[in-house]
Amino acid sequence: MTSTTAATTVEAPSLETMLGALLRADLVVLTKNRMRMLLSLMLPLIILTSTSSSKATRSFGGAEFILGLAITAGIAGTSIMGYAPMVARDRESGVFQRLRVSPAPTWAVMGSRLSVQMVSNFVIALAVLVLGDNIHHLSLSIESYVLVLLVSILASAVFLSVAQALVGLVKSADTVQAFGRLLYIGLVIVGLFGASGGLGGFWDTVSKWTPVGVLMTVFAGVVGVGTFDSRDWLSLLACGGYVVVLTTLGIYFFRFDSQQEDNPMNTST
Amino acid sequence: MSSSPRPARNAIEPVPARSATDGTTLLEVRDLTVAYGPKVAVDGVSFEIRRSEIFGLLGPNGAGKTTTLSAIEGLRRPRAGAVLLNGVDIVRQPALAKAQMGVQLQSTGFQSELTVRQVARLYAGLYGVALSDQDLDGALADIGLGRELDRTTRQISGGQQQRLSLFVALIHHPTILLLDEPTTGLDPQSRRYLWTRIERVRADGGSILLTTHSMEEAQSVCDRVAIIDHGRVLAIDTPRNLVDQHRDDPLVRAAARGEITLEDVFIGLTGSEIRD
Repeated sequence: MTSTTAATTVEAPSLETMLGALLRADLVVLTKNRMRMLLSLMLPLIILTSTSSSKATRSFGGAEFILGLAITAGIAGTSIMGYAPMVARDRESGVFQRLRVSPAPTWAVMGSRLSVQMVSNFVIALAVLVLGDNIHHLSLSIESYVLVLLVSILASAVFLSVAQALVGLVKSADTVQAFGRLLYIGLVIVGLFGASGGLGGFWDTVSKWTPVGVLMTVFAGVVGVGTFDSRDWLSLLACGGYVVVLTTLGIYFFRFDSQQEDNPMNTST
Repeated sequence: MSSSPRPARNAIEPVPARSATDGTTLLEVRDLTVAYGPKVAVDGVSFEIRRSEIFGLLGPNGAGKTTTLSAIEGLRRPRAGAVLLNGVDIVRQPALAKAQMGVQLQSTGFQSELTVRQVARLYAGLYGVALSDQDLDGALADIGLGRELDRTTRQISGGQQQRLSLFVALIHHPTILLLDEPTTGLDPQSRRYLWTRIERVRADGGSILLTTHSMEEAQSVCDRVAIIDHGRVLAIDTPRNLVDQHRDDPLVRAAARGEITLEDVFIGLTGSEIRD
């Protein structure tokens, strides 16, 4: 098995083979962390059930906004408190460096992780959508379901870019975990108070343009199909802006070796 | 100068039998320069490794050994120079070059949720090695991991992790094996296992590049060594030739405590001050 021969003609493995191996391994890791996924559903469930009375629903701007907030909270949780700490932990323990000395290109290593995380986010969005539809008696059409799930992909992109920026800017795995919790709580609180108008004036406006705020607006817009107005379009645009800016930051400052201190331009192959 | 006798050198065993290389170059490192921002860590390093050769890269802490190895492994892009493996440029054709390398890093670095079998399956896939479940399990059993197949990598011991790491490094029959301080922290049994595997790699025509802080180890097992410091190569030759060439160097003689050894040459060339 481990005998070695000096090959004269060597071929690199095919990309499909390498990607298949990476995806299988990342899916195994995801299924072994299913408890984390279930915990990510807790806050959305609390939001949905605690606002099911008509008075509470009105105070948050309507069931559409509540559904948007719940899905956003679920996806933010699994991205910021799931993906980011896991990447930081694996970076610290040398998992990425080990994978990068294999013939697999770096983009495939990260692409596999992100793809699996997108699947996880999609499952959470679908679960929250079904629960929200039932708890808030929305009776959503198939069209609305499809649109909400499409927006949940956008929400995944937004929060995975937040998570990527976090692991790009912060090196220590412990700090990423601590900072991630604070960020998550902060984003959800701002979203909650922003939706209820509890912050007042200027801060209400600020909260509506945070990642949570803009996604809630877009979700609410697609749930009430046909009412997608200019503010919804601007929010959609803002989502795109967050993805571009945060992804750029996350890639530019990300290092595969947490000990590495050098010029960000000096990226390796 | 102290004349106290040195303890008998018996730390390295078994010593792989020296085998003549066929003289052809397998790995060529040419004028390699690697920088961390403004700090140049490797400054114009050049050396060649021949087929069936065990080559040691020696140097004090911070000398540039691991950075040189990282550039060869494709983990760091050189600022200048080239690394050619079998004529394949690691920067221009990284996948093809990496497909010919087996690498064991200082840390084992496996996802802690994956089992031993899943790790082996992952790396078999990454190197395009088709193995049936039976073959894979059998190969893992051969290295003493037969009972650990379904245990996660966080549940196995450090020695078992090292064996798994070496297994993964050799899973695709590489033409060169790169080892970064492979014996650090190993017990005698694990060290013996490692040298047995290395010997088998060489017997099959493969070459080995290793970094080590152990001069006894380098003197015992390496066909040739390069001593580097401050990112530059200070000397390259067989351990015996290095000792012979520097036997009369006053700095080497000052470092010696009896018979001149490779360690004395190393200290004579790199200085005796402690590095961080």
